[in-house]
Amino acid sequence: MAKFPSVVWFDAVRKVFNGDESYQGAGGGQCNCVAGMKVGNKIFILTFEGLECIDARDGKDKDLEEVDFYLDMPIADWRAMLKNIAENNRATRDCTLNTLDLDREDGLSTSRHGDQYREDLFFRYNQTFQFFFDASARVKTSY
Amino acid sequence: MEPVLDMQLDWMDQQGSWGAAAEPSKQGLTLADIQVGAYGDVPEESDNMTGRPRGAGARPESYRIGGYSVRSKHEIWLENASFLYEEALQRQWSSATDVPWDSIEPLPDDIEQAECQLATFLTEVEFVAGDVPARWISQTTPDYFEPRNVLLAQVMDEARHMDVFRKRALANGGGLMGATGGTAGVVGSIDLARDFTEMSSRLHISGEGAVLTIFRMGELMAYNEAEKAMYRLCAQDEARHVAFGVMHMRYMSETAPERREEIDCYLDEAERQILAGSQNPAGAQAESSESLAILLGGGKDQYDEGVNKLIAIRRRQLQEYQKRVRSAGFGERFDNGRSPIKEMLAASAA
Amino acid sequence: MVKTAAKTDSKTKSKKTTARDTVASAAEVPKPGYHWMNRSNQWDTRVKPGKHGLRLGDLNVGIYGEIPEQWQDQTRNPRGAIPRKGVPPLGYSIRDKADVWADSAADLYEEAIQRKWAPATDVPWGTVKPLSEPLERAICQVLTELCQYANCDVETISQWQHQMSYGYHEVKQYLATASFDAARMHEAFRKRALCNGGGLGLEGPGEVNRMILESRGGWSEAVTYLMLMRGTFTMTLLRYLEKFAYNDAEQSIYANALQAKARQMTYALEHLQYSIAHDEERKAIMATLLFIGDRIWEREMADHVLREALCIVFAGGLEKAPDQGYAIYQKMQRDFMRDYVGTCEWLGIKRDPAMLPEAMADYLEAS
Repeated sequence: MAKFPSVVWFDAVRKVFNGDESYQGAGGGQCNCVAGMKVGNKIFILTFEGLECIDARDGKDKDLEEVDFYLDMPIADWRAMLKNIAENNRATRDCTLNTLDLDREDGLSTSRHGDQYREDLFFRYNQTFQFFFDASARVKTSY
Repeated sequence: MEPVLDMQLDWMDQQGSWGAAAEPSKQGLTLADIQVGAYGDVPEESDNMTGRPRGAGARPESYRIGGYSVRSKHEIWLENASFLYEEALQRQWSSATDVPWDSIEPLPDDIEQAECQLATFLTEVEFVAGDVPARWISQTTPDYFEPRNVLLAQVMDEARHMDVFRKRALANGGGLMGATGGTAGVVGSIDLARDFTEMSSRLHISGEGAVLTIFRMGELMAYNEAEKAMYRLCAQDEARHVAFGVMHMRYMSETAPERREEIDCYLDEAERQILAGSQNPAGAQAESSESLAILLGGGKDQYDEGVNKLIAIRRRQLQEYQKRVRSAGFGERFDNGRSPIKEMLAASAA
Repeated sequence: MVKTAAKTDSKTKSKKTTARDTVASAAEVPKPGYHWMNRSNQWDTRVKPGKHGLRLGDLNVGIYGEIPEQWQDQTRNPRGAIPRKGVPPLGYSIRDKADVWADSAADLYEEAIQRKWAPATDVPWGTVKPLSEPLERAICQVLTELCQYANCDVETISQWQHQMSYGYHEVKQYLATASFDAARMHEAFRKRALCNGGGLGLEGPGEVNRMILESRGGWSEAVTYLMLMRGTFTMTLLRYLEKFAYNDAEQSIYANALQAKARQMTYALEHLQYSIAHDEERKAIMATLLFIGDRIWEREMADHVLREALCIVFAGGLEKAPDQGYAIYQKMQRDFMRDYVGTCEWLGIKRDPAMLPEAMADYLEAS
């Protein structure tokens, strides 16, 4: 059982994600970027390289200035998304990353640098990020 | 007795630079990894008219068969072409098997009609981005094969987009509807541009940037997992194409500042024609904007709700467009009053 | 509250539209007219996915599968959709089915997508080990010329693609995969040349490339040179190179390239057959083209560079290249001539050995 949000939880998801080759096809594939996850007030930094998520670590607010983009939601919304994934083995209609991004006034994905080219990595690798969070269906999660 | 060949072997002394030993990186042996020694030298001006691979030994007697019109690096180059090409290869998907077509269930008639109208429109416009890059590929010297390869991947992507929307239109009790004529042979259109950067600014930045938002919106307003997957995967491809445009324009802006004013003119035109015009499915054109509003609202009887969401889409389109143009190095147009985008944003917020 | 457009009065209408008007109109959404609704040439179409998913060819049902002999529409009107009147044409020059069609195009398109590969990660580059310098030079020389063949594929296909009308979208889509395949071959050949202490070789003579690129009279004529002639040779060459590969990486590259080339040949032969079946004169035109092309082909094959490089590759080094390597090279040429002439005959184009250039006739006779 891994507690969300924590590095332990992201590591558990990484393990499932990195070990499932089906995530490398069907629109997935190599992904090179550093993404921030802002879960309420907690910050995590994920590094994707090649076909894997190679690192998850705790971050500080100023780290968000460096990442290509970061996903920012209140903790309740993160939980709702993860519960939907756990129930359906993947995100369904209103809980995909893209939909959550569009449904929110300020979006889910954002950046401090404001460079849309780097922010666009969220779109360019969207299927990979979706697969990553979908992999959390196989991680026993506590909150 | 078997004949014996009299070997000359003179060619061994005429080959390209020797001793290249590119090594695979963590991501395999990528195009970036083989930029070794002389093979990584990309000429500012290409005199290669014979179609020889960059870095190969030249034969003085070879025919000048290339007829390439794009022979200056700044006209087509971008710093990340190798990465975008490898990314495209990795992220190919199949509309036949990666979209869960079985998830489609019958929909109310107004929704199905709206979905089919949008699919007809997207079938129609998607291959603009197939036809046009193809034409430029054959006109570009192979010394710049990296951007050419990205464009070839784009042609492939667009073929798949054309195909997936046709599939959607014919998969659920509907059919194709009326064409919009959204892409036509008129001056200032993507098709007729006679300069690569002019074409790219229209196609990659404003055109595909707008369509990227629509694909993302398609994922939001999907009525089943098939549509969800279809739009999400198309959006990934589209984001790559947009990245090509942004990075090419950035390179052009840095290496050929004398062309900045001219490029601003293309952007003026694009902002008039594409962002507000017929090639933007969220624009004023009735077929696509009405169908989008129906899909976003959840039916004809909730049209107004759909329109409100559509206005939000437009805002998002404009904001992202503005940030991409800034990223490409042309942000001052938004600060000096040249671009109407700020006003558009303000007006749509009112 | 939704802001909808006010009816334009005649006064406003006569004014020149300014950027500020554009801004104003962009912020408005017209009242819905729904004039586009209930407009379809065929409604109630429900194509179901089969065992292999929902494939392009599956969509050819009812009017959507009616592929006309001529497609006069020069817009991007999707086949089966209701065209819009008054759209300025885009100038598609290929509008006859006989000029592009092959029934297999839709299947080849899907096959190409299913058989995707990425040279960066699917080729076992770690298996490439140092070779003797003459052998490495020979391999690099062959790869350089193969790069040029792939480049010729790219430039030829992409110069025709945008001229093909939308009525035959399956062909346009298949060709999108074919030019992408060519890009991938170009990439894989270059990578192999630059990863083992070697480099690129000397460029090829280019006479056949010129012949292919300059066949601008029609797409079928380009197919004759690019696919029937050069394609048959490239297939033969790749088969031999796969057999004489020096490591798993090369074997993988040649095997993948071979599959792509085989798809191209399937399209080409089916198209040429279709074209001839619909216009008997095509056969005579192709015979003329091949008569000319054979002479150019023979001149290019007389170039000693590729020949010597292949002999070295087939012999595993310089020492046995002049005899053992040359024997294999000759066998390869005989195989090519047998397949090439055999294909021509299958298409109904008689090839009189007496009319072939001497070297080609000799190989054919010995095959």
